[in-house]
Amino acid sequence: MKYVVRRLWQFVPTLAGVVLLVFFLFNWVGGDPAYILAGKIANPELIENIRRSLGVDQPYWVQLWIFVRQVATGDFGVSWATNERVSQIFATRLGPSLTVLLPLLITSTLLAMAAAMLVAYWRGSLTDRAIMIGCTVGQSISILVYILVFQYVLAYQLGWFPVQGWGGTLGENLLRYGALPVLVGVVVALAPDIRLYRSFFLDEINQDYVRTARAKGLAEGRVMWLHVLRNAAIPIATNVMIQIPGLLAGAFLIERFFSIPGIGREVILAVERSDFPVIKAVTIYVAIATMIINLAADLLYKALDPRVELE
Amino acid sequence: MAGAPAADPSKVLRITFQAAETGFDPVRVSDYYSGTVISGIFDPLLTYDYLARPAKVVPNTAAGLPEITDQGRIYRIRVKPGIHFADDPVFKGAKRELTAADYAYSLRRFLEPKNASPYAFLFEGIAGIETPDRYTIVIRLKNPDFNFSHVLAFPLGGAVAREAIERYGDESAARPVGTGPFRLKRYVRSSKIVLEANPGFREVLRDGRRLPLIGGVEISVMEETQSRWLAFQRGDTDMEYQLSEVATAFMTADGQLKEEFAKRGIRLERSVDPEIIYLYFNMQDKTVGGLAREKIALRRAVAMAFKAEDMIRIIRKGQSIRAHYPVPPGVAGHDPEYRSSIPYDPRGANALLDKFGYRKGADGYRRLPNGDPLALRFSSTPTERDRQYDELMKRSLDAIGIRLEIHKDRFPELIKLENQCRLMMRIAAWIADYPDGDNFMQLLYGPNSQQSNNACYRSPEYDKRYEKSRLLPHGPERDQLYREMARIMETDTAWLLIDSRYRNVLL
Repeated sequence: MKYVVRRLWQFVPTLAGVVLLVFFLFNWVGGDPAYILAGKIANPELIENIRRSLGVDQPYWVQLWIFVRQVATGDFGVSWATNERVSQIFATRLGPSLTVLLPLLITSTLLAMAAAMLVAYWRGSLTDRAIMIGCTVGQSISILVYILVFQYVLAYQLGWFPVQGWGGTLGENLLRYGALPVLVGVVVALAPDIRLYRSFFLDEINQDYVRTARAKGLAEGRVMWLHVLRNAAIPIATNVMIQIPGLLAGAFLIERFFSIPGIGREVILAVERSDFPVIKAVTIYVAIATMIINLAADLLYKALDPRVELE
Repeated sequence: MAGAPAADPSKVLRITFQAAETGFDPVRVSDYYSGTVISGIFDPLLTYDYLARPAKVVPNTAAGLPEITDQGRIYRIRVKPGIHFADDPVFKGAKRELTAADYAYSLRRFLEPKNASPYAFLFEGIAGIETPDRYTIVIRLKNPDFNFSHVLAFPLGGAVAREAIERYGDESAARPVGTGPFRLKRYVRSSKIVLEANPGFREVLRDGRRLPLIGGVEISVMEETQSRWLAFQRGDTDMEYQLSEVATAFMTADGQLKEEFAKRGIRLERSVDPEIIYLYFNMQDKTVGGLAREKIALRRAVAMAFKAEDMIRIIRKGQSIRAHYPVPPGVAGHDPEYRSSIPYDPRGANALLDKFGYRKGADGYRRLPNGDPLALRFSSTPTERDRQYDELMKRSLDAIGIRLEIHKDRFPELIKLENQCRLMMRIAAWIADYPDGDNFMQLLYGPNSQQSNNACYRSPEYDKRYEKSRLLPHGPERDQLYREMARIMETDTAWLLIDSRYRNVLL
């Protein structure tokens, strides 16, 4: 408990760093939103009027204080581009993002674990080498290529999936519109995950306790599935969890190509429009999610391996 | 004709937007996509006969065209009685009739500072609005303007109901309530917009058939070209007009639809957008600006070295036509016979520079007549298209021995610098807000510097004619003034007109 409280306190300076970084980066390299919102003919009076209404005519320290207050209250106001409440934007975009990301993460993790355990078990064999070469090649191809090819071949040519779209019900989105985006995501994630998880399994296979288990005459299946998998699961769980916040905001290519109204697409829109309230909110949310997930991963370590001491 | 059948609910038009809309409150938007939806939901007083060329202003919810008095200062319009807003909870079950007060309220909203409307500039000429009776609106202008009818036909100038705007506040962008042919049925921001025919829409007939002909419109936002192209080919959408990147896949070099697509029942309709794309010089810049003879010669030489045909052939892949006149085709005031007096002639450009003392130094690049180094700064955004502009500009200036510096910045920053008259050269575009030449000729009017006049051009001769043109309706007298203004601009070489892009609509 003491550990958790201490870690929660550490959130404060970390968040302060994120706030300062986002604020100065936006004001340094971000475009002036008034010139986007002013439309085709922007007279100085209109520009000033917009700047005033957005609050960007205030001194920097006032703007920074407003930002800090927004982080403290969780209320980031309204989008500068659409006047929609930022909280509403995230509330409505989170569902579609998770509809794709959760099946993607679960499927890719299970498949990558199974494949990694197999190739680790057959280390040095032809199968191991072939899969590793395949992974290296697969990893070196851009996600954009996977999207373009899969969309063209599987959706357009073969008609197995819709080319793009998003429906009104969870079932329809999960089974119909989400299937191809999930497939693309799984294929993209498999190559690096198999390579990484293989190394986790190899670390464990070479441990003394595995030799001991085998010497005791335990069946290979029991050694691998019970002992090796349990220990390798710790770094795998960490890896999966720290991917989640990044994937939420980073899945914009999949969301754009398949017309999924998710958070990643919204983030890109916000950047294109210099929509600072949305940019601020997504950065803070991702930072908080990352910190919470890191903490959860540490607690998970303890749950998976009682020998781990949290200090 | 009262028995003409209503919209067929089984017919739904499925189209796409290549960029997300921002909302449907008419005073708060400036993007094309939001405007497209708004034009289906709200009704301006006047509209256009879109099949006429140039498009002609006709009454919409007005009983007739405006009665213009006081030498173009007063517009009196009568709203047709019996038009109602689409049903909405805000009206508590009652029918809400459209009145002159709704238009007075809607037009005033553009000028309210709290709305910071991007289109406030169109309505700034209004001095006052009165509604002497329930159906009559009188608009008093600050200055005579015989073209104000175009502003009254502006699609975003449709009537909103005060009670809806006050009730929904910031949510008005997602809760549009108008009198137009459609109403919003389903809205997933930045993703899906579903419109359905407004069952209470007044009787409007075209060729004996009641509008709207279809039961709804389903709009999907698809940012990626491949997604739009494949969706169209699969029959997921009914119409596509944003496929310039893949135009060669379905069109022959002479602009015809390839046979394989025609066989599948696909049609191609091609038109030139009411837009101009032009290279401008900042007339206040100390290197390229001003009306001194050697400065005009420098600008003229750059314009003569710029191969607009390469822009069309290589960058646009043949999907545009050469622009000669500041008013593009389809817009009132366009002159199809007019030809630019600035030829493509790099040899002549070199001779011109030699004549005015821009001598080449040891490094092969020209210097200013006083011997100082000469480098021209071309501004563009960090996009693939603008990188091609950079290359074309580099090739053009290399041909006349002028050193080029490329200035890269994001679009809003370029606009900011442009409004402060701090860019030297840029390729800009302007698409019609309304199909009248005034919307284009104002781009070179001196007092519009730091606003729409991005060349910061100030010519007393041009301005005098422009002010006179504003007092004239579209006609031969105004056309003559426009021709003279175009020649004045060319003589000073504030711009080089480049092209206007085709719109290829696949159906």
